[in-house]
Amino acid sequence: MNNDHIIKCKEVMNHICDTLGEDLNSPTCTSIKKHLDNCPSCQKYYNSISQTIQIYKKYEVKITSETHLKLLDFLGLDDCE
Amino acid sequence: MNENEIIEKAQKGDRAALSKLIKMYEQTVYNFAFKICRDKEKAEHTMQETFLSMVKSINQFSGKSKLSTWLYTVVSNHCLMMVRSNKKHAYTSLDDDDALIDEKNISDWSITPDKITENSELSEILDKAIDKLPPDYRIVFMLRDIQGLSTEETGKAINLTVPAVKSRLHRARAFLRNELNKSFSYEQ
Repeated sequence: MNNDHIIKCKEVMNHICDTLGEDLNSPTCTSIKKHLDNCPSCQKYYNSISQTIQIYKKYEVKITSETHLKLLDFLGLDDCE
Repeated sequence: MNENEIIEKAQKGDRAALSKLIKMYEQTVYNFAFKICRDKEKAEHTMQETFLSMVKSINQFSGKSKLSTWLYTVVSNHCLMMVRSNKKHAYTSLDDDDALIDEKNISDWSITPDKITENSELSEILDKAIDKLPPDYRIVFMLRDIQGLSTEETGKAINLTVPAVKSRLHRARAFLRNELNKSFSYEQ
């Protein structure tokens, strides 16, 4: 891996952080996609960023029925239950 | 009855319709508030204040944006007020872009998102990581990546420019990824 490649990977990784979930059709994005197809290291980085988002999406803190009732009581809507 | 019809009823003073709107959004608002405030009581308080704002201002809701987007704006600002009043917590600085992306630290992960549910050890890892993320970054990550607001909507909700949203999102993603990498990487 020469220095030129290292710089490119860093740029790609930065770009992944910037644009995940955005429109990927600009000329820069097209070359990023091309790089991703051929670079296992950047693919791993892309996957781990994407997994980070998915993991936090799945992780939900549930409201308890006690908290729900407290809320309705606070708002004076407990009779609407 | 669809959401707009329920909102119209609530605007006419129908309390059952208001209660229905609260039921529709309380889980989302509570989950959001908990992830930002990192405390059950503070999350409850923030949720109560958010819905109180909704009850008071439902008549002014014009329907130009989604009710959910409007609620995220309100809950975000309540959360920011809450966490900024607690200055005891010292957060990691995210100013150094070079340190955030370390190319030597790239590996496959031994976890997939579907393994997250109901695993307390994993929940603890996720809690610890997001706890270290400064609230100003946490809120951008939550609005943009978890709740799915656009970059523009996120900026409007918390009064940030689009470049500022992008910069904070970039750093939040890289920071959380690095924190989780310590636990989920094959090569640890």
